[in-house]
Amino acid sequence: MKHLSIRHILIALLIIVLAIVPAFVTTTYVMGIFVTTFYVGCCTLAWSILGGLTGQISLGHAGFMGLGSYISAILLNNMGISPWISMIIAFVFVGLLTAVLLSPCFVLTGPYFTLVTIAFTEAFRNLFTNWEYAGSGQGILVPIDNDSIFSMRWISKVPYYYIALIMVIVFYLILRIIDRSKLGYAFKTIREDEDTAHAVGINSFKYKFIATFLSAGLIAVVGVFYVNYIGYINPDIFKNANSLDYVMPAIIGGIGSIVGPLLGAGILTPLSEWLNAALSQIAGLNLVVYAAIVIVVILFQPNGIMGWFTHSKLRKKINNSFDNIDRKLFKKE
Amino acid sequence: MSNILEIQNLTKNFRGLKAVNNVSFTVEEGCITGMIGSNGAGKTTVFNMISGVLVPSDGKIIYKGQDITGTKAHKYSGMGIARTFQIMKPLRNMTVLENVISGAMFGRKVLKNAKEAREYAEEILQFTGMYEKKDLYPMDMGTPFKKRLEVARALATDPDLLLLDEVMAGLNPTETDEAVELFRKINDQGTTILLIEHVMRAVTNLCKKVVVMHHGEKITEGTPEEVMNDPYVIEIYLGKEDD
Repeated sequence: MKHLSIRHILIALLIIVLAIVPAFVTTTYVMGIFVTTFYVGCCTLAWSILGGLTGQISLGHAGFMGLGSYISAILLNNMGISPWISMIIAFVFVGLLTAVLLSPCFVLTGPYFTLVTIAFTEAFRNLFTNWEYAGSGQGILVPIDNDSIFSMRWISKVPYYYIALIMVIVFYLILRIIDRSKLGYAFKTIREDEDTAHAVGINSFKYKFIATFLSAGLIAVVGVFYVNYIGYINPDIFKNANSLDYVMPAIIGGIGSIVGPLLGAGILTPLSEWLNAALSQIAGLNLVVYAAIVIVVILFQPNGIMGWFTHSKLRKKINNSFDNIDRKLFKKE
Repeated sequence: MSNILEIQNLTKNFRGLKAVNNVSFTVEEGCITGMIGSNGAGKTTVFNMISGVLVPSDGKIIYKGQDITGTKAHKYSGMGIARTFQIMKPLRNMTVLENVISGAMFGRKVLKNAKEAREYAEEILQFTGMYEKKDLYPMDMGTPFKKRLEVARALATDPDLLLLDEVMAGLNPTETDEAVELFRKINDQGTTILLIEHVMRAVTNLCKKVVVMHHGEKITEGTPEEVMNDPYVIEIYLGKEDD
């Protein structure tokens, strides 16, 4: 894919549009929705490495993210270590910790593995609720400073917007590289059938370990961003409902694809915010409508948006028209 | 010719049930060996032990002079042993080409990068006559091609010994003949084949030696003609004449 094509131009345009959004959007509220969408997108992408590519459905990712958040908050408050460095520490530490602790459970498949991940996160919620050094149930307040790059602290939301945007792009690229590499083939073969994976020579334990490491490590990096963006962390971050927030976009967008989870996050996060604002007269109505929409999508498109799109005629049409444009635009190549 | 595989006194107990009892036979290098027997005779259990899915309760599996009994399943493709499954296990959400690439990447063939793996997988698809279907998903194809895909994926690991578990079951006579032709082609390239089969037309056509199993035990072995004229084998397959 060394030739320039209309697809590349469209992606570049999308990024440029997103990059100049802060110049036109001035309300903090709308900016907030953008930032949330971006980091939820990152979380979903991180979840997809284990859940989407490797097929090990985890409902514990809120926990892995929470660990990253706590690491950053504690290191910044008590040792003055910059969140930027915490990102690397969180990636390696949380990734390894999770992979090692979950490794005895790699023989479990399907719902049994999922149950273990729920228990994993609950255990950490209890630990942090009772751990005084980590602020017990009250949590930790990240020190409020003047604007500083070192401690990732700004009054305005714009810098967070750009960090989150870059994070989404980087995560997306990481997943794309994994997807097309030997690693990706190992993950996907394990997802489809573990016996076959063994038969062609894939050590499923090793690759599940790697998938867990990458998935938990990456979401821990998002956790570091999250705590410094919100400015506060408490054990509520370990709640299971949070994990669902990162799984749902992948399910709606299409488990197993890479664009799907991003698309899901791009649709679901603004939708839930908008419903929240539009239906605020009756308490809870927004959640009812949100749930109804999710149920309808799952009922009629169990494979998600991308699952439908991959096998649809629309895709062929779009591909053809793109190819036509390419031929007209870049005749010389 | 030497023996690529030697099975010595192989036994497998599932709790109280003896699924395989004291089975010994050899597979000659470069030949096609068949294994027949009625349902529940223990053929697939033997296969699962040879490919490392099950650990034998007793006995030895000698491959190329080395004892490989109890080796983990994922190490076999590196040793040059590949298998297919009786119950087809296509990678559903991956295209035919991707199915074969995953075999190529983790097999014995040294491939530098994803591009080489793709080229090699395309070669395998050409060889097995599935190149036109490479962008389809397994569920979009009929049984004959799904079975063929199993073989292609196993073949992509570049094996010396190919274990085929009922890859011709459910095929019509024409399709069977095509499959027979493919296996002969694979064998001509130097790959030893051990196959489980019910389709006698294929067994007599392909195999140099046939091992017959019944109730977990080996009852006889020999050329297809010898085996099919064996009174005990006839009795098992057709029943005993009433006097």
